[in-house]
Amino acid sequence: MAEVRLSNVSKSFGTTHAVSEMDMTIAHGEFLVLLGPTGAGKTTTLRLIAGLEAPDMGDIRIDGRSVTRETPAQRDVAMVFQQYSLYPHMTVRENLAFPLRSPILRTPEEEVRRKVQQVAETLQIAHKLDNKATALSGGEMQRVSIGRALVRDPAIYLMDEPLSSLDAKLRSDLRVELKRIQAELGATLLYVTHDQIEAMTMATRIGVLDQGRLVQIGTPREIYENPVSLYVAGRLGQPRINVLPAGVFPGAPLGADRIALRPEHIRIGAGQPARVVRVEHLGDQTRLHLTLGDHALTTLADPHTPLETGDVLSIEPANALYFDATGARIV
Amino acid sequence: MTDSTLDRVARATPPRVARRIRGLSDRAIAWIFVAPTIILLLAVNIFPLIWTIYLSFTNYRANRPNAEVEWVGLRNYQRILSDPEIWQTMQATAHFLFWTLFFQVLIGFALAWLINQKFRGNNLWTTIIVLPMMLSPAVVGNFWTFLYQPQIGIFNNIISFFSGADPTSFSMIGDVRLAPWSIVIVDTWMWTPFVMLICLAGLRSIPDSIYEAAECDRASKWRQFWTITVPMVLPFLMLAVLFRGIENFKMFDLVVQLTGGGPGSTTELTSINLKREAFEKWRTGYASAYAVILFVTVFGLASIYVKALNRVKNR
Ligand SMILES: Nc1ncnc2c1ncn2[C@@H]1O[C@H](COP(=O)(O)OP(=O)(O)O)[C@@H](O)[C@H]1O
Ligand SMILES: [Mg+2]
Repeated sequence: MAEVRLSNVSKSFGTTHAVSEMDMTIAHGEFLVLLGPTGAGKTTTLRLIAGLEAPDMGDIRIDGRSVTRETPAQRDVAMVFQQYSLYPHMTVRENLAFPLRSPILRTPEEEVRRKVQQVAETLQIAHKLDNKATALSGGEMQRVSIGRALVRDPAIYLMDEPLSSLDAKLRSDLRVELKRIQAELGATLLYVTHDQIEAMTMATRIGVLDQGRLVQIGTPREIYENPVSLYVAGRLGQPRINVLPAGVFPGAPLGADRIALRPEHIRIGAGQPARVVRVEHLGDQTRLHLTLGDHALTTLADPHTPLETGDVLSIEPANALYFDATGARIV
Repeated sequence: MTDSTLDRVARATPPRVARRIRGLSDRAIAWIFVAPTIILLLAVNIFPLIWTIYLSFTNYRANRPNAEVEWVGLRNYQRILSDPEIWQTMQATAHFLFWTLFFQVLIGFALAWLINQKFRGNNLWTTIIVLPMMLSPAVVGNFWTFLYQPQIGIFNNIISFFSGADPTSFSMIGDVRLAPWSIVIVDTWMWTPFVMLICLAGLRSIPDSIYEAAECDRASKWRQFWTITVPMVLPFLMLAVLFRGIENFKMFDLVVQLTGGGPGSTTELTSINLKREAFEKWRTGYASAYAVILFVTVFGLASIYVKALNRVKNR
């Protein structure tokens, strides 16, 4: 396991800046999650680190050694591809064993068998080991693809939205499992997703990407509580953060253009009158849809709330976040 | 107008026909549609086959339609299978088949692999390489007789340029030892592009991402070639071999134009031999038995081969 450092790395495709001037260090044994919407440059970042793409500019170092000119094999990275990329003519077993059979590793056959079995059991695909890789469901393919990385002991694991096509239950199982494996191995892992729950639950740190730029990096808590911009604030939190013109409530700081309120920033009982539009019982939470003047707001309520559609209550901000006209945070 | 084609067809159908069609079941309509094809197939494929099988047990001669036809049982078959001359043509065919397939697979795959390395102008090269395939076999046979000319032939002169041998000292077509190779060379020249095209389709069907995965899994280029490229192209390659194998088993025009089966009967392939028996010696019954034997051979070999092909595909 190793530390990976990107300095000032850029990559463009024609006029698209897929990755711009990225500086990032993935510490030894860290579980770093890159969070961003589709097209933010997540996959490109992984491919740059893997060596499948050459940066236009900048330097990539693994354990201090510049690898910018090295092949993927020399870098010793394991990658889980977004589109699985299994070997279609091989069985699941052969797919999982493929990296171990690399002449560089010279793994004894006994060891190969043991590791493949172990990984297959962890990922709940042991019963499919002798299936052809193409005779699997999307979720199973994705697990094989994760397994093909996990059988190895690389400098860094790179995972590109590996849980995206699994059903909800399996996804939460594997979140826990991946986190456990990573902690157990002390592995360095760079994980890419657009799913905030995955980011929040697994990451030791989260990096937020916006159009190829790393706009903020920090622990999940830092990103959640102290977003540097409106964009970052909008990436985390369910229900989504409410953004209103700063003037809706009195007491906005100088230069504030908008106020952003998470449910915990909304105090009920005093302040402006708001009307309940809808009460949503989601089981684990109860959402309250409100209107304040012309503005819609969503917040959380007590599961046994007596509130009903049409009720009017008073709300005021508590430690809300303020942003200026460019979307930057005002502290 | 919001008139669909279907509406117009419906209106244009005379009421009597329409009524009759409406009375038919789906199954009946399906039969009406396939019947012409089935009748045609029966007439031009199945009937002649059965007729040939019948004739193979007789001493019928097509040039004497009025002579009495006698049932001779298995005598035709016995005579064919114990005729050393026929075994020689079989051997010539086997030689031709084996070496043409060998060279076409080897060179065809290599060319496909080269063309698939993304370089500039590879489309132009593909077109150039594919040209021989588009010519008529008779034309190819004819102009290779010129290339093989000892005095003026380019082939002989090129060989002599590289080997130092006198170009007039050997004749590809005239020499008993060289003639079998002369037809192998021409067929390879003409049909390697076909194998290449099919291999190219196979190579293009392998997504780049698989090679990228292998790259990350630390497989060398050599290992990628043998564990990914070859197994994934193999079904395509086997298909090409099947096509070429069947074609070459019944090879006729090219070789007739080139060597006419000679010198002696060194390049007399079974199909040429068969034609001689049937339409020069007019031993129709005998030739029919011969044809049946060839048919069973090709059919048997092809069936075994297709089984193997399916096994490879489903691996
Ligand atoms: N090979 C490529 N050629 C051209 N444009 C590309 C290529 N790969 C990525 N891009 C562009 O770069 C941007 C970032 O892509 P990507 O890294 O795949 O985003 P993400 O994985 O976050 O969805 C996108 O706008 C995408 O269209
Ligand atoms: Mg992506």
